[in-house]
Amino acid sequence: MRLLLIEDDETTAAYVAKGLREEGHVVDHANNGRDGMFLAMNEPFDVIVTDRMLPGPDGLSIIRAIRLAGITTPVLMLTALGEVEKRVEGLEAGADDYLAKPFAFAELRARIRALARRPAGPPAEQSALSLGELRMDLLQRVATRGARKLDLLPTEWRLLEFLMRHPGEVITRTMLLEKVWDFSFDPTTNVVDVHVSRLRKKLDLPGEAPMIRTVRGAGYALSAPGNVEV
Amino acid sequence: MRHLSSFALRVATASAAVMLVLSLLSSGWVWWQAETALRRQLDITIAAEAEGFVREYEDFGLRGLATAVENYARRRGPLFVALLTPDGRIMAGRMPQAPPPLRGFANLPGTGERPSLRVLGGTLPSGATLLVAADLTPLNADATALAWAAPIAGGAAALLALLLGFVGAARMERRLASATDAARDVMGGDLTRRLPLSGRGDEFDRLTETFNALLGRIEALMIAQRQVTDDIAHDLRSPLSRLRQLLEGALAGPREAENDAEVLERALAELDSVLASFSALLRIARAESGVLREGFSLVDLSALVESCAEIYAPVAEEAGKTLKTEIAPGIALQGDAALLQQAAVNLIENAVHHGGSQVVLRLCPGPVIEVEDDGPGIPAEERAAAVRRFHRLDRSRSTPGTGLGLALVAAAARAHDGALTLEDGAGGRGLRARFALTSDASAPDVAGRGRPSRI
Repeated sequence: MRLLLIEDDETTAAYVAKGLREEGHVVDHANNGRDGMFLAMNEPFDVIVTDRMLPGPDGLSIIRAIRLAGITTPVLMLTALGEVEKRVEGLEAGADDYLAKPFAFAELRARIRALARRPAGPPAEQSALSLGELRMDLLQRVATRGARKLDLLPTEWRLLEFLMRHPGEVITRTMLLEKVWDFSFDPTTNVVDVHVSRLRKKLDLPGEAPMIRTVRGAGYALSAPGNVEV
Repeated sequence: MRHLSSFALRVATASAAVMLVLSLLSSGWVWWQAETALRRQLDITIAAEAEGFVREYEDFGLRGLATAVENYARRRGPLFVALLTPDGRIMAGRMPQAPPPLRGFANLPGTGERPSLRVLGGTLPSGATLLVAADLTPLNADATALAWAAPIAGGAAALLALLLGFVGAARMERRLASATDAARDVMGGDLTRRLPLSGRGDEFDRLTETFNALLGRIEALMIAQRQVTDDIAHDLRSPLSRLRQLLEGALAGPREAENDAEVLERALAELDSVLASFSALLRIARAESGVLREGFSLVDLSALVESCAEIYAPVAEEAGKTLKTEIAPGIALQGDAALLQQAAVNLIENAVHHGGSQVVLRLCPGPVIEVEDDGPGIPAEERAAAVRRFHRLDRSRSTPGTGLGLALVAAAARAHDGALTLEDGAGGRGLRARFALTSDASAPDVAGRGRPSRI
């Protein structure tokens, strides 16, 4: 993938760029808003990662400008700790996701992947999702694995639906908290693990090939057995 | 001199000036009125005297008149009387000025030693002219004396106004100086300083009371801020010290890949706990600053609490406990959804971590969120401390948490004009946390049902 990183802190930028390059991505780096905006306007990228506070035009201005220019490249915005409420502002300006600093690299990587795979435009109204032998009928609210009907609680349903919309992707705990339960904070308890393990018990019975995979230090991924992606 | 710029003095000076101008105008008017009245009086006197002489002429002829005029002049009456021959020479009597023969009243301006005169002249049938005149000097003096009264009174009033202005300015200056001194002390760092009240309950006292309330608020905020700073210094120092020791120890020890990985993982965990505390502190500070109020929107509290219960029921179950719910439907309020959600989660987590085997989550109209557990509870004397930042009961040091959970709930309650209270649970066992909110929804509740009719 070709990524644009707009970040004025050289240490952070070098660390993030190095990590992303090791993943096999091509990373262009701009250390100020003006260069960042120029690159974003003139070069094709798969994902743009921009800091919110920048010398020159700030992250919000860049996002507004490129959206005005009709560029739909997904944008991930980085902000300082404690600016959670600025999240809405960023999303309204046209950012697609939001990550508070300091972040774990795995978190950034997972979010970039999720953004890159996201189909352009709003998600199509689907009446069913399927992955391998797993099927979710969104209208009937019935989930089945092969012939077996899964008896899911509402939270488990939402969790599975989110994972099915991101097949094969590593989804971090924070992403699940934010996007499945709308939590904008980290609870003290491992809520996510509890729910995932319950879902897993219903989804992957003993003897069946497991579909939910734990990615150490990162999160979870749902994939069809024998079709494991990274 | 500072007094010259005083507001009270400026007012006094202006009123003194106005008074002076008014008194000058009125003195001019008085002078004119008095002069007119005196002159009319004088004309009547002159005419009466002249009539007497004319009667003398009618009774005794020209000769008789001449004798009377001569006698009058010799007696030196208050008026001048003279009889002139047709060619203008004085035949009898006395006249300080030699006027041309005239008919009717006229003014003769004074020259040098000779006084100004008011003269009445008339020609007798014999051709002689009778002149009766009065000296205008005493009349002018009287009018002027009368006219002086107004400016003298006006000047005195103006002086008095100036004097009062000085006194008022000095008094106001004293009162304001004490306020200025107090404000300077506050700026200098003495936040306990307050402005003195005069006790008269006037507008100065009202301003002073408001100002003192403002100072009180500032002091409370500063104390709160100092508290936060102290808390940060106190409680972030320990994990940061541990982190430092860990890294220092690892650096001094042998280089082993396995050991390094373990050290780094522990360091990351330590750092994450520092960041969690830091993030929670920032949230509390934000909730307490009141800025969230601008973003308040209608929150479906019933749905919010219901979803928290749904998320935490399995968590409680994993911990070998049960989470019971009694959630009233259709309760909504104006608030900050994210903050309310975190407050509810913190209360539930607190009960699950520290409570006994059962946790009850209630939402009642009010709205009030109650979380009750049957654990060891918190002794009454420790409850106030429990909602403070970083307070962790000694026995809870081993359980996860930043020690900021209840402090955030308390801040969230205040942000919604509510309060967090800790009480004994049912039957005096365990702990009941009451998260009472008063910021009521002004819009009809989201469930579309009628609100319970409580007034």
